Amino acid sequence: MKNWKETRAWELPDSAVLRESQYLRRREFLRLFGYGLAASAVLPVTMRAASAGFPDSLNPSFKLEGVKLTPEDSITSYNNFYEWGFAKDEPKKLSNKGWKTEPWTLEIGGLCKNPRKIDVNDLIKLVGGIERRNYRHRCVEAWSMVIPWDGFQLAKLVDLAQPNPDANYVKFTSFFDPEHCPGQRSNDLPWPYTEGLTLPEAMNELAFVAAGLYGKPLRNQNGAPVRLVVPWKYGFKSAKSLVKIEFVSDRPKTTWNELAPNEYGFYANVNPNVDHPRWSQASERVIGAGFFSGKQPTLMFNGYEKQVAHLYTGMDLRKNF
Amino acid sequence: MNTVAKILGNKLLALTVLISVGVSLLVVPAFTGGLGANPLEKLLHQSGEIAIWTLGAVLALSPLRVLLPRSRIVAALNRHRRALGVSACIYGLLHFGFHVLYEGGWDGLLRGLSKPFIWFGLSGLSILVVLALTSNNWSIRTLGGKNWKLLHRLAYVAAAVLICHQAIAGKGHWQIARWLLFPLAALQLARLIKTAVREKRRSTALPSVAKQVARDIESSVAGAASRRLPESASDRSQRSPMQQARANENRRCLHPA
Repeated sequence: MKNWKETRAWELPDSAVLRESQYLRRREFLRLFGYGLAASAVLPVTMRAASAGFPDSLNPSFKLEGVKLTPEDSITSYNNFYEWGFAKDEPKKLSNKGWKTEPWTLEIGGLCKNPRKIDVNDLIKLVGGIERRNYRHRCVEAWSMVIPWDGFQLAKLVDLAQPNPDANYVKFTSFFDPEHCPGQRSNDLPWPYTEGLTLPEAMNELAFVAAGLYGKPLRNQNGAPVRLVVPWKYGFKSAKSLVKIEFVSDRPKTTWNELAPNEYGFYANVNPNVDHPRWSQASERVIGAGFFSGKQPTLMFNGYEKQVAHLYTGMDLRKNF
Repeated sequence: MNTVAKILGNKLLALTVLISVGVSLLVVPAFTGGLGANPLEKLLHQSGEIAIWTLGAVLALSPLRVLLPRSRIVAALNRHRRALGVSACIYGLLHFGFHVLYEGGWDGLLRGLSKPFIWFGLSGLSILVVLALTSNNWSIRTLGGKNWKLLHRLAYVAAAVLICHQAIAGKGHWQIARWLLFPLAALQLARLIKTAVREKRRSTALPSVAKQVARDIESSVAGAASRRLPESASDRSQRSPMQQARANENRRCLHPA
């Protein structure tokens, strides 16, 4: 691991990223942040649970130096969450009409030593609380965001469950509630939404379970109360509003792959050199970047090549897209 | 019913509606923050939607006229075919402009040329441009009614190509495109069935010699009637010179199908 910072062409200094007022107050912010960090150590661990909001506890390894965070308002109003509708603004409108995401039980099961059904708040306590990670998010539709997630590393959950030796994959299942959820009353997609990772992918340090963003519990439209976040893959891999995580021996069926296997692969790694059959993946539109900004080049594995490329050595990424 | 038809037939009103659709879906939201987190994409999609639905509206009018030959409302709406068609082209050109902005450079634009949805979009738009440029009385006179009609049948090709363009342009787009495709296809099918049934009834009811004569008479009557708003002789006598001139202009305006 290198301990110097590599400057990339797209990086900006903090002064260009922050508003002037924030930039001038950055020391004050750091001081307050220090108090907050100290306070969070003293506060009972329950205060950090999914429903209470999260102390700012940025993991410095995932700061994404110099990259501009997408405004919170954009992250919470521009969503692909087909359970609620095809339009980007529908999830926000329709998922907040009485759909309850608390209390919420997550089932951890399949081929593992410690299967359990656990309340999401208890799970967060069990894995040792919440950390902040700024991750790039690249949608298969060629737009991108940078999101400050609050959550925990998926590997912690895997360690709790202790998968058996014959477990090769992890399957993620989203909620199914057609009574509240208009999109699930039609069969445009095979509900409930399912996704999957290989076990080594799930154990990678980047694989994350998010319970919040910008220090607040996940909004319903972002996949409350807990969702998967795999930042080196296209966004549809990061299944929302999880009810079940299972360890399985065979590759699980995953929703988009099942629907159009020639367009959405099981791996779905961000790759500017392998196009979607219908559109280019070489560049992406940055949400919040402004009207005349054009597109920016997409990075291999969404910029996480160092952390994940080894998972796919010797694999033909054109075939295993 | 008459008043409704009269209002619906008003050309100024139609033009106002066609412009205000664009204003309310493209201009107003741009100034009120209604375009959301990806404003250019919203403009891109909205302008494309307006274009294709406007085109769909024109193509719905001809089968409707066959299916409901006595409806004054359908006849009144048929006065706006030219305005609708030209609007579809203008919104299509806007859509193209937003696409150029969205890609933001030659790189993306050229890369797009390898994608079928771009071919479909460009060919559909090219047809619309040709049809819009020939949507004037001078072109009808120059080309001759028959040729002009044949040329403007390309509107069907444009619609097919553009619905395809919409369906493959993005994830989940088919689920949007089908809302236009199925109704249009159903209307065309109903029209074909009605025409076929009418033909058959005619051929069985009449002896062969009279058949041709009857067909000639009927087609000339039907042709003339379709170019005119239904009206009685007394209506005609009460018209002002201006109304008379406008009626003549309507009669000259040919329909693609």
